[in-house]
Amino acid sequence: MPKRAPRAPFLVLSALLLAPAPRSSALTAPRKIVDYNIQVELSPKEKLFTGNEILRWTNPSSERVGDLRFHLYWNAFRNDRSTFFKESGGRLRGDDADKDKGWGYIDVTSMSWDGKDLKPGLKFESPDDGNPDDRTVLSVALPRPVEPGETVELKIGWKAKAPRVFARAGYVRDFFMVGQWFPKIGVYEPAGMRRRPVSGWNCHQYHANSEFYADFGDYRVAITVPEAFVVGSAGALVSETKAGGKKTLVFEQRSIHDFAWTADPRYVVKEDVFDPAKDLPPDEVARAAKLLGRTEAQLREGFHPVKLRFYMQPDHVDQWTRYADAQKWALAWFGLYAFPYPYAQVSCIDPPEDGSGASGMEYQTLYTAGTWKALGRWPLDRVRFQEMVVIHEFGHGYWYGLLASNEFEESWMDEGINSFTEYEMMDRRYGSFIELPLGFRLPDEETGRVATIASRGIDPIIRKSWQYGGTYGLNSYQRPATVVNQLRRVMGEEAFWRAFRAYAERWRYDHPTSGDFFDALQAGTDRDLRPLVQATFYGTATVDYEVVSAVSRRREPFKGFDDRGNEVGFGNDSKKAEAKKAKGADREPYDSRVVIGRTGGIVLPVDVVLTFENGKSWRTTWDGKSGWLRLRTIYPSRLVKAEVDPDRRVVLDRDPWDNARYLEGWKGASAGRKASAYGLHMVQIILSTLWGLV
Amino acid sequence: METTKSPLAVGLSAALANRRLAGALWAAMTATAVVAWLPLRTVSSALDQSPFRETVLRGWDSWAFLSGIAVKGPELASFGAALAFAVLVSLAVDLFLSMGTIRVLRAGVRRPVLRRLVADGASLFRPALWGFLRYVVGLVLWTGLLAAVPALLLSKLAGRDAPPNGPLATAAFWWAVVAGTVVFLNASARFALARIALARDDAPSARGAFRVSRQRLRGHRASAAGIVLFWLAAGLLVQALFTNLGVGLDPSTNGGVLGLVVLRQLGFVLLAATRVGFWGSFLSWEEGRRPKAAWALPHPAFASASPAATPAPATPAPVTPADGPAGAAAPLDGAGGPSREA
Repeated sequence: MPKRAPRAPFLVLSALLLAPAPRSSALTAPRKIVDYNIQVELSPKEKLFTGNEILRWTNPSSERVGDLRFHLYWNAFRNDRSTFFKESGGRLRGDDADKDKGWGYIDVTSMSWDGKDLKPGLKFESPDDGNPDDRTVLSVALPRPVEPGETVELKIGWKAKAPRVFARAGYVRDFFMVGQWFPKIGVYEPAGMRRRPVSGWNCHQYHANSEFYADFGDYRVAITVPEAFVVGSAGALVSETKAGGKKTLVFEQRSIHDFAWTADPRYVVKEDVFDPAKDLPPDEVARAAKLLGRTEAQLREGFHPVKLRFYMQPDHVDQWTRYADAQKWALAWFGLYAFPYPYAQVSCIDPPEDGSGASGMEYQTLYTAGTWKALGRWPLDRVRFQEMVVIHEFGHGYWYGLLASNEFEESWMDEGINSFTEYEMMDRRYGSFIELPLGFRLPDEETGRVATIASRGIDPIIRKSWQYGGTYGLNSYQRPATVVNQLRRVMGEEAFWRAFRAYAERWRYDHPTSGDFFDALQAGTDRDLRPLVQATFYGTATVDYEVVSAVSRRREPFKGFDDRGNEVGFGNDSKKAEAKKAKGADREPYDSRVVIGRTGGIVLPVDVVLTFENGKSWRTTWDGKSGWLRLRTIYPSRLVKAEVDPDRRVVLDRDPWDNARYLEGWKGASAGRKASAYGLHMVQIILSTLWGLV
Repeated sequence: METTKSPLAVGLSAALANRRLAGALWAAMTATAVVAWLPLRTVSSALDQSPFRETVLRGWDSWAFLSGIAVKGPELASFGAALAFAVLVSLAVDLFLSMGTIRVLRAGVRRPVLRRLVADGASLFRPALWGFLRYVVGLVLWTGLLAAVPALLLSKLAGRDAPPNGPLATAAFWWAVVAGTVVFLNASARFALARIALARDDAPSARGAFRVSRQRLRGHRASAAGIVLFWLAAGLLVQALFTNLGVGLDPSTNGGVLGLVVLRQLGFVLLAATRVGFWGSFLSWEEGRRPKAAWALPHPAFASASPAATPAPATPAPVTPADGPAGAAAPLDGAGGPSREA
């Protein structure tokens, strides 16, 4: 088994010293609620973690707090009675739990405050579902309430066994992904925080679909493992000592709300640096400057070198450069359109293929990617999975990480916004997510959009993550991402991106809610976004625009009595009319009539374009409010095409195929014949291949 | 007269010389393709009344493709069902025509082709169908035994806690690939030879024909597999060439589309010619491995310099029952050869 000795601490320190210091305002969270000092030792054979922590917690409210709440996440894997297991059935994202030996747990062995033992006051609570068997939330009754602004220091001892990994954290062989692993205090939200009316604990159970939410603070973590293990961790390595075949590595990081680490003797570590001087694409800086109304110099401000580490499985090492390329692009993009990454380093973990349950997961300053050996080889290398997962998981570092929304309650604010930014980054950088044979490409955004239009809305986007009726994925990822894209198109590029950046900057380290996001966008535009927000985020409405009918025919020549009582076109005038007709002198203009319709509860303004045989076209904008629009025109040239939403601005349109109608006289070729020819070819390829094989 | 050409050269000559035969195979394959293509045409014709009409004419429109999957579900489901049906029909047609092809090539008569193709195909269809079932069962069985089971054992040997892509896992993967390919090539060669045995009346049934093919293959498996591999590669090459060429042309006018269709069909005719070449090569190869009879004559298909030398008999030749694999070669039976039942 390939092994690699950990890098000497001085190398890391010197790299950090050489890097220009990020602006302190960006690096430090304005409110520090927690401060963790943790020591943990891993016994790899038993998969056991023995730890103790000193937790300093400050009461952020103006009220006295009489009890504390803790997350004990690994108790989700304690048995099949936990809420997580009941909801997931022991299966998450395609990975199954090992129900034989794969169980895990976390037990608090001691807890004290000012020398007073708190253990007698410990009890489990299930605030979300009342499940008496769930052990993922621990309540601690205090001997006296914590005063407003007071900081308490708790000493906590604990022991945990890692589950065999299938849901984010755990082990497989000697690989350990250690996330949500220590007794972690919940968030005490003062009245007004996240728009809540009264103060109280926000400490949810571990659900199948829920992720995380915590307070910012400083972490110091000392990890003891056998010497052979390579350790990757959040934060910066500040010291390393060895004794008795073990080593202890100490990591520190300020202003984070989550701390994860990993250990595996097989890791091959690759290092790189994001250097803004060469890794900021000039064309993207210029584009961002134009969109955001800032100078390029202003945008470059705050960027600093970031140390990149890739903890690769030996069989994936050849793919690390794909991770690195995507990582640098993500750092550049987020720095331009949100704000520069404030930390000095970021670590990308590449889990083994049999530990794929750990892949694709976000933590702070560290995330897990994931690949397979086959994805590095033709023809699967045309799928940009590695890039996508890096961009996606690193992106979480902003929405779940730096803005720190509540993933339990508003999963879309992390997953949805992050999917939106992922689509944008993937398609701007790579043009597509998948490149099919013969150069046919599928953009990332469209793969998400198609899931949205193909779905039947049974849930609004905003729901607590455990309350969806089976639509958690759709309503947390693709649908909100597509709706944000729709909001962008309604607002216009400049207005949207300025509001988007303003949102990111305003809510950095500050736990925004859905309302804060909508307010930030609304502040950037005169258009009323509320109906669209209401219909999608709080409702299940859809929309479909279509050309209901389109006809164009010559207007009939005047027939009847004129104002002086003369017969025109009949009677005495009929011979004249026939003569005129014979000469072709009666050419009347065309009377063209078009009906555009809208179904579904979402109302969006759309453009309608009528194109005539002489090549001229006429465009109008319809507000969409009335449900249908009839257009009529008398024009010398015949109408040959009617189209609604020609610029494809309504990305939520459920059926874009009915958005155009071609009439007789259209000069263009038939796309149907072309597609049909390709279709025939495809069928022939299948059949002739069969003939070749039999 | 002994043929001095290699089986591949004979196959190439046969592919080039039997244009009508290739054309008939192409027509049959295209006719079955049309079965599946008709429902697809419903979807594609909708493009002409959609906002994708002009973008598709300009090239690839990913949103037309993806949204089409989402909103044209029932039409695409019909296409899927029709495709599955076409695959089954096409398989039967292939079996049917392969027997006729062998007979036509053996007769060495270039025209009329279609009547012979159909008559001989019909007369040998039933044993060919049994042979196909035998081929499928054999392929599955031998792939399981020689490729899957050893690969599985190697994986088991590595143990549950072995790191992914370790030496044993990699060995298992490559074993499965290589052994699977070898099994496929061998099974294909055997099935091809069994069909030849049926067509040459070396055996009255699929069972007997497979027995004959085993005897023919004994000691010569590599060269037989080489023939299968060569013609597979030739087919792939033709297909890749014409597909790339067609996509590269990307026409945007009706005339251009028509040109593209013609060009592609030319590719499929060439592909059909590779099938003719395949059978020509195998006939030649088999001829070289037949037990020599004092009166045996070279096969007309190989004496390509004098194709008209063996005219088709106006009436079927008298039936000479074959004696099985060890028996002497059956007389050249011509196009109106004996009808057989399995």
